[in-house]
Amino acid sequence: MDPSQIADPIITGLLRGGLYALMALGLALVFGVMNIPNFAHGDFYMVGAYLAFFSFTAFGLGPILSIIVAMFGAFILGVLVEKGVFYTLRKRSKKNWVMNTFLLTLGISIVLQNSVKMLFGANYRGVTAFWPGTMQIGSINVSIDRIVGFLIAIIAIAGFWVFLSKTKVGRSIRAVSQDETGSQLVGVNLNWIHTLTFGLSCAVAALAGASLLSITPASPGMGLTPLYKSWFVCILVGMGNVGASIWGGLLLGILETFAYMQFGAGWQDAISLAVIILILLFKPSGLFAKKGVKSALE
Amino acid sequence: MEKKGTFDISRLNGYLGKLGLKPLGFLLIILLAVIPLIITDQFWIRLLTSTLMMAALAMAFDFSAGFININNFGLAAFWGLGAYTSGLLAVNLGLSPWLGMLAGALAAAVLGFLVGLLTLRLSGIFASCMTWFVALALMALTTNWVELTRGSSGLSTPYLVDSLSNIPYYYVMLIIAIGVLILLRVITNSHIGMAFKAIGQDKQAAEASGINFVKYRIFNMTLSCALAGLVGGFYAHYTGVITPTMMHTSNTVEALAICYVGGRGSIWGAILSAFILVPAMELMKGMMEVRMIIYGVLLILVMLVYPAGLAGLCNALYKFMKDKGLFRKFGFVSKNVTGRS
Repeated sequence: MDPSQIADPIITGLLRGGLYALMALGLALVFGVMNIPNFAHGDFYMVGAYLAFFSFTAFGLGPILSIIVAMFGAFILGVLVEKGVFYTLRKRSKKNWVMNTFLLTLGISIVLQNSVKMLFGANYRGVTAFWPGTMQIGSINVSIDRIVGFLIAIIAIAGFWVFLSKTKVGRSIRAVSQDETGSQLVGVNLNWIHTLTFGLSCAVAALAGASLLSITPASPGMGLTPLYKSWFVCILVGMGNVGASIWGGLLLGILETFAYMQFGAGWQDAISLAVIILILLFKPSGLFAKKGVKSALE
Repeated sequence: MEKKGTFDISRLNGYLGKLGLKPLGFLLIILLAVIPLIITDQFWIRLLTSTLMMAALAMAFDFSAGFININNFGLAAFWGLGAYTSGLLAVNLGLSPWLGMLAGALAAAVLGFLVGLLTLRLSGIFASCMTWFVALALMALTTNWVELTRGSSGLSTPYLVDSLSNIPYYYVMLIIAIGVLILLRVITNSHIGMAFKAIGQDKQAAEASGINFVKYRIFNMTLSCALAGLVGGFYAHYTGVITPTMMHTSNTVEALAICYVGGRGSIWGAILSAFILVPAMELMKGMMEVRMIIYGVLLILVMLVYPAGLAGLCNALYKFMKDKGLFRKFGFVSKNVTGRS
């Protein structure tokens, strides 16, 4: 077998997977810390793409600045949503929390998606390229945008890792994810941590959406695919396992590329769905199950 | 002393109670049955038919969501599976649409049984995700298997009856919807419903009190999916063309929103909210986005402010009137009347 036959899908898969990992990171964070299975994660990705599109085309900001604007916009939106919806529910009742918040995020997703559709219409809005040009890796040509997107994902993930393990706020977030009551006892402000976590998760999703703008143009329904892909990754590695979601993302990227090359377009989703169903059946706690991390089992 | 042959409202009440109905609900059903005699406008008849269809779907959804606490996120796919099974059998084998509807229900039941079996180990939210993934896979399969399903260009199916009028369809759907209502009410009012609720609230406690978790959960999933498949079989021969988009998550979301606005775990609340929401949404035709935003906002509001939904509101109103003695005042017999569950 020709070595490039193996190497090419792996390279494409890795480039694809970096952004899946970034998306999954946000989802895992919110699930781990707040116990919210976020169904609206893909819509913050979409909001990020729209914000980047308008800052890039209408306001003529540079690519980097557009992506930063998208991140901040989504962060603020996330904070508002947390304060308006989840904080209200937490005050009222914490009974059946996981299922109730799941439905709430569903409502948020519908509202966000359709508000965007109403404001900007259903047509695609994309840019040809943030950074025009292609690069030769091995035997395939890859657009610079994909490589920059991958680099952004790696930098963001590394930044997150430093933030979570080295700073005081990051440690508080991890403390809350391990034990809410315990963290309150040592003086962590729970409300603040929850709001911050949700905002950060939205910002990360928007970052992914913004940096992929030239590859997947902005449209109201664009969030569904990244949403279920990040769900896949989280289930693949074990829900709420923030560290392992990086490997899961890369793995899914490679898996999809192989499926695409073997069976043709359209089938890669069916294949990855089949894989995830098998994972849920035979290893519901995920590939990298870790003690203390919530699992899919009762 | 009651005389033979005289109309006795409390006895009627007793019979209806066995079917899980109340006199008011019975009156409304009779009203629905005579509506085509009053309104002959085809637009309204079609609208009422689709309302009843959404109501039946929402009831099937409620049967899982409100009792065993699993939101069947793939309901639309089971609906679509019923439609495609029935449609394909009619097109390829010439099977009668009436039998096709049953075949659709059967196919959905088999898949529901399998999904129920496979998700036994998973907790509520992951079981919901699993149904969703199965639905996404099914939709991808239907879209891509062009040789069998004609893909996204849609499959033309024969009509159920040889008539241009929509009234026969209306009656078929009405019978299905009432059948679903009575079936689910009878089941959930019996000890089985209790077992479902116990499982939904706390699996371990339920098993400790001797409830066969496996049996009840699989039974619930199977029945809920079978009903969705039955409605799907009807839909296939009602519209005459089915496309894979009917399996899209947004259709599940519509049933879900109707179910939650109506009040989770009541079954009949779903009909009530369907009759308020679906026509209201239809009148806003062309404003699909506004429609969906309203669904989303309603869902958020119900969850945040009043989780009991419309059914809870009606029950509160009923209790209020009963406490004030308003029923006796207007001559209703209140001996056998208990609050709707």
